[in-house]
Amino acid sequence: MPNIKLQSSDNEVFAVDIEIAKCSVTIKTMLEDLGVDDEEEEVVPLPNVNSAILKKVIQWATYHKDDPPLPEDDENKEKRTDDISSWDADFLKVDQGTLFELILAANYLDIKGLLDVTCKTVANMIKGKTPDEIRKTFNIKNDFTAAEEDQVRKENEWCEEK
Amino acid sequence: MSAWTEDALSWRDERLSLTELPTNRRKQRSAPYRLHRPHLHVPEPVPEPQGTHISRLYPELLALIFERLPVRDRGRAAQVCRAWKDAADRRSVWRGVEAALHLRRPAPILFASLARRGIRKLQVLSLRRGLRDAVAALPGLESLSLSGCYSVTDAALASAFASELPALKRLDLSLCKQVTDSSLGRIAQSLKNLEELELGGCCNITDTGLLLIAWGLRKLRRLNLRSCWHVNDAGIAHLCGGGEARGTPDLEHLGLQDCQRLTDEALKHVATGLPNLKSINLSFCVAVTDAGLRHLARLPHLEDINLRACDGVSDAGVAHLAESGRLRALDVSFCDKVGDEALSHATLGLSGLRSLSLSACRLTDEGLERVARLSQLETLNIGQCTRVTDRGLRALGDGLLNLRAIDLYGCTCITPQGLDHIVKLPRLSVLNLGLWHVR
Repeated sequence: MPNIKLQSSDNEVFAVDIEIAKCSVTIKTMLEDLGVDDEEEEVVPLPNVNSAILKKVIQWATYHKDDPPLPEDDENKEKRTDDISSWDADFLKVDQGTLFELILAANYLDIKGLLDVTCKTVANMIKGKTPDEIRKTFNIKNDFTAAEEDQVRKENEWCEEK
Repeated sequence: MSAWTEDALSWRDERLSLTELPTNRRKQRSAPYRLHRPHLHVPEPVPEPQGTHISRLYPELLALIFERLPVRDRGRAAQVCRAWKDAADRRSVWRGVEAALHLRRPAPILFASLARRGIRKLQVLSLRRGLRDAVAALPGLESLSLSGCYSVTDAALASAFASELPALKRLDLSLCKQVTDSSLGRIAQSLKNLEELELGGCCNITDTGLLLIAWGLRKLRRLNLRSCWHVNDAGIAHLCGGGEARGTPDLEHLGLQDCQRLTDEALKHVATGLPNLKSINLSFCVAVTDAGLRHLARLPHLEDINLRACDGVSDAGVAHLAESGRLRALDVSFCDKVGDEALSHATLGLSGLRSLSLSACRLTDEGLERVARLSQLETLNIGQCTRVTDRGLRALGDGLLNLRAIDLYGCTCITPQGLDHIVKLPRLSVLNLGLWHVR
């Protein structure tokens, strides 16, 4: 299998099987646009991803290389978040910072499966909590004025029905 | 807002916005004096220095996360901070969501928020005032349910539907018992693109109302008139385009449950005027007879017929239906003139059935042996068929290899040995024996 070299923001270079690298639509398009010859060993710079995260992403992509494409969204179905595979759940036992960086990387590299499972993981951290508990979980400051808070509460009261 | 609350609020803004304490703010606001709250002087917890903070995620990424939450949690996420509120207001977060709410009064803040979020489905759980404002605030509304809002009047609907709502495709007025034909006139004028109309339990509707529907709602595909007791054959004739109205030729699903004045004449109209009908519910239409079913059998797309407790239907009627050969679901439960004979002519023509209900019919093992040949059956209800024995169950166990659900409630002549034939069926997931059988 031909390899491709991916360079992280901190200048570390990773040799990756080209088929695995192509699970990133961003890299795939880049290679197509550049018309890179498989024989040449190109270095693809990824200035938005550091080496620690790139390593994780490659690990994820290697494990999932034979996954079928994700099904299309059905807007009438509530999306499930309890269907994370045990491998992914283990893979995502990381600190919050790493999780958010994985989301940013999955978005930048356009890897749908990884973006989906990382977003699900954060969703599971939000589920069932009050706004205040959510703030505490993620260390978020409440920057609403009292009037704004009152308004936003009125706007969302209906979500508590049923 | 009184002077002291404003004072308290501004004071609170100075102090509270700097803290993250888990305090109940509403209670604080109701205190008529400045509380002694030394805990408010606790310094703000220092943010963990290491790692990327969630605020690095762009609004569209937050929205991707929120989309994956149950509606309740989406609403809570919107209350966390300004950035989250903005992300939670993105339309993608609310795609497909039906807002269910109590309308007590016009609530412009709430309605504006629903509009901003692109909400297109609204379920009103109870109504006092504000329907007109809600409808006016949501011009893209596609589905409106007022099911069970007893207080809905013709006047409220006239005002809510005063101008045309071309986006509205589905309207549910079931159990809005004050609604009369006058509302249907308004609906026919303003909701011309309606595809589904639920009027179950609107017992003031008459044939005139159906004439108005037939005049204005050309695109109707589903109409439910359950327990509209005043509806006669003439009303159904209107829907079928007999006379001055154009009718509703695209109708696919018609619910006439408990419309007890309807006779075979209505079914004759249906057979000629509603060529696209796929399902019809005639349960408790006690005046319908076998002759009416002969008309229905002519409908080229009819797949699903409910004749539960139609006393006038007998074996011959089921045989008529079987002639069409297309049925996928048939319910003749509690038709006490239906028995083994119905299945003797019918087996061939009913071979496409996925669901068959014969509860409390005059069925014996002989009948079940014929049922056993309907190899595509997935659901079979034969509760309270008291003459059925283990012999019949054995036949079912041999023949119905696709069966997923069976109801044997009140089959008093079967034993655990007979049930063994059923339990072994490879796809069975539902077996109802009711309270009667201990197993």
